[in-house]
Amino acid sequence: MKYLIATVILLLSGALNAQELLQFDNDSQRDLYRSLTAELRCPQCQNQNIADSNAIVAVDMRQKTYELVRQGQERQQVLDYMINRYGDFVHYQPPLNRYTLWLWLAPVLMLALLLGTAIYRRSRQPQHNADTKSELNTELDQLIKRYRSKKP
Amino acid sequence: MRKLFFYVPLALFLLLTVFLLSGLFSDPRERESASLNKALPEFALADLMQPQQIWTPQQLHGETFLLNVWGTWCPTCNAELGYLTELRKQGVKIVGLYYELPRDPTFDTPFNLKTLQQDVAQKLQQNGDPYQFNILDLERSLSLDLGVSGAPETFLVDADGIVRAHHIGDINPRIWRAKLAPLYQQWSQP
Repeated sequence: MKYLIATVILLLSGALNAQELLQFDNDSQRDLYRSLTAELRCPQCQNQNIADSNAIVAVDMRQKTYELVRQGQERQQVLDYMINRYGDFVHYQPPLNRYTLWLWLAPVLMLALLLGTAIYRRSRQPQHNADTKSELNTELDQLIKRYRSKKP
Repeated sequence: MRKLFFYVPLALFLLLTVFLLSGLFSDPRERESASLNKALPEFALADLMQPQQIWTPQQLHGETFLLNVWGTWCPTCNAELGYLTELRKQGVKIVGLYYELPRDPTFDTPFNLKTLQQDVAQKLQQNGDPYQFNILDLERSLSLDLGVSGAPETFLVDADGIVRAHHIGDINPRIWRAKLAPLYQQWSQP
């Protein structure tokens, strides 16, 4: 019983103390802040977003993101603010331009090439395929016949 | 036709190998600053040693200089002070942008300008003083506007206040000769 009361008190104290360190006007601002800090990249520590990183610059960028979101700025405005200062590097979603176009084009081209090769190879040997198929079929028929004739 | 099926994949494979091999020797931290060829962002920040003096970008016009982001807390910055002092003796104008660490109100002592000034004076006495003066960026607002990712970083700013070059990391004789000296020469000519 003593343990049960202690557990309940512990659980309750956690629930009562659980309050956000950052205050927002509404939930959509909080969501915006969360998604922005998750997709903005820390310029100092490689391959971490600013939500995960505790580098000085990441702390400052989080603070700035918080201020801008509290001011009621839109998602794209905050992203532009950061990209103006830290370049495209700072956003995990690269913009579509003539340098990054290949990121999207390369897989499509690769697939087209593969498909083209496959169709070409297939079109070269259709009769041959049919021949082997009929040969195989007659062979199988004979096998089945032999097998059946053995049965009592 | 058979030959084509052999050589095309081979060529693709070799291309990929060269691409990946070049990746082994590239520096992932190397990237162009977004401030390049733009004017210095607007700011009004106090001098580190004479706080009544307020610096604005307009006051820095007229001469090409290096804007060196540093802090006494940063070992690499302290290490480059010696060579930067040598550059100052050769006539290079260097302005310090003091990058102060953020403070946690719960754990850290509040900011004290006197302590910082003493700390800086001591470090500069030990390692050499390359700076004409130091601008104190207490909230790192100018650093954020410049796209500074850490210390040390150095910007080459021309006489019209336009950022012309950017270097992440320390400045040593090799970096100076190979990267910054030619640009400094180019942009300091009237």
